[in-house]
Amino acid sequence: MTSIQSRGVATTARPREGGNPALDSRLRGDERMKAARTFLLRHPGIVRLGAVIVILLAWEIAARFFMDPLFISPPSRVFASLGAVLHTEGIPNALRLTFFELAVGFAIAVAAGLPLGLALGLQPFARRSFMPIVLLVYGMPKVTFLPLFILFFGIGPASKIAFGVAHGIFPIIVTVVAGVQGLKPILLISARSMGASRRHILRWVIFPHMIPSFFAGMRLGLSGVLLGVLLAELYVSTAGIGYFTTMFTENFQPAKLFGLIAMLAAMAIVLNEIVRRAEHRFSRWR
Amino acid sequence: MSTGEVAIRIRSVGHQFGEVGEARHIRALADTSLDIVRGELLCLIGPSGCGKSTLLNVIGGLLAPTSGTVEVAGKPVHGPMPHDIAYIFQENALFPWNTVDENVRLGMLFQGVPKAEHAARAQQSLQAVGLAEFADHYPAQLSGGMRQRASLARALSLQTGILLMDEPFGALDEQTRMILGEDLSVLLARTEKTIVFVTHSLGEAVFLADRVAVFSARPGTVKKIIRIDEPHPRNPAFVTSEKFTALRNELYALLHDEIRKAVGSDAPRGRRGANGGAP
Repeated sequence: MTSIQSRGVATTARPREGGNPALDSRLRGDERMKAARTFLLRHPGIVRLGAVIVILLAWEIAARFFMDPLFISPPSRVFASLGAVLHTEGIPNALRLTFFELAVGFAIAVAAGLPLGLALGLQPFARRSFMPIVLLVYGMPKVTFLPLFILFFGIGPASKIAFGVAHGIFPIIVTVVAGVQGLKPILLISARSMGASRRHILRWVIFPHMIPSFFAGMRLGLSGVLLGVLLAELYVSTAGIGYFTTMFTENFQPAKLFGLIAMLAAMAIVLNEIVRRAEHRFSRWR
Repeated sequence: MSTGEVAIRIRSVGHQFGEVGEARHIRALADTSLDIVRGELLCLIGPSGCGKSTLLNVIGGLLAPTSGTVEVAGKPVHGPMPHDIAYIFQENALFPWNTVDENVRLGMLFQGVPKAEHAARAQQSLQAVGLAEFADHYPAQLSGGMRQRASLARALSLQTGILLMDEPFGALDEQTRMILGEDLSVLLARTEKTIVFVTHSLGEAVFLADRVAVFSARPGTVKKIIRIDEPHPRNPAFVTSEKFTALRNELYALLHDEIRKAVGSDAPRGRRGANGGAP
């Protein structure tokens, strides 16, 4: 009886699997869905690209059919205008000038922020004395002092660089201080027991320890410098990207404006990528 | 083994943390005198907070004692003496951002060994501890036992006459400790080093030491010294011998009262966590 029953179940089940084409294809469809999901989960870049395309499409549609072309251009037209922007009188020089201001501002922010951060981080007395001041200035909206910067440094590149440094240096100081703090005392004791000099300890113990936070600080500092330089350029300038963004906005040329912004974004990405590559090289051990 | 020559002379060393009258004042070590003979392995054993690690740090020049003097190789100790003394700590003291090989080389760089010798000496000491294949691994990729082997290799590469070990196997599991203890005994029988070894483990002390200095409860001082007459390298069978058991029991009897005292005097004040591990 039991054997007949079990055979009965088996015989009714088997043809279902093989013989029902509708269910079969649905099963295969399920499997395909699952495969697609695992594929996407493994390749987040594709999803990212998809999101960017969706946003660009939405922008294209909105700009073409719903919005005033005086205020916004569709991305296709922005892209087409890139060549024209590059060939506009004065733009190549403006790009060069802004890049120069960015690079110098960033270099100064790092060159001054790193030793200041080390000094504050390694000396408890200095830290307790000055860290509150650093944090206060860091938190203050520095844009309120922008007119003063122009007053002190003039309307040329110097004021842009100075304002960029004012934005970029503080995140570097703060992250370096935090990075130095977390060092395990046993590593210092052990280095000392093996005869390490102060320079040895700085170079081989403290420095490698704070590398990750230093790089995090450099990235924050980079976006700070970018913000400072552009704010100063927008506020008052006779050259540089800020001058041209103001001009394109006032002349209702959104395609050129967005084209210029795209170039600026490319500049920021290149700088950020340089920092990221360097960081990767230094953090093999993680 | 021991030639009778004194390698480390400890004279009336005492140490207290904080000033008298302060809430945090602790007398960790009371008037301790001890001669450590060249080539011997001396274990310091005692209840928590009895000052054995404090004494080790004083010998190593990492801590200036409140009173008394220590002489190493005839010279008074005033700071780290990297050419005479190498250290192995309980915690993982390898630099996490360097490979095992780089860690060993850094020790030699700090000590001032000429660059040309680094590679050969690093390889030699890594081979001695059985880590040659893991030279290019980072500490995070190794097990706890392998990390302590790497620390040992770093210390050996410094070629010092004295090795100070502060509970080097304290953070490892029982089985790893056993194996490392055996390997250490084999290794040290070959090297003629003077070793001071702090431990909590009775078995480890009996298995490794030529002499065991038993400390009293805080303020600690040497209560008794027990001699373990057994040639190095010690055979694993030594652990199961009656001699081993007898010595271990003797140590246990000596320690038991002191541990009670340490726990009893600590518990009511409730700050065992605050300073139990520090001294």
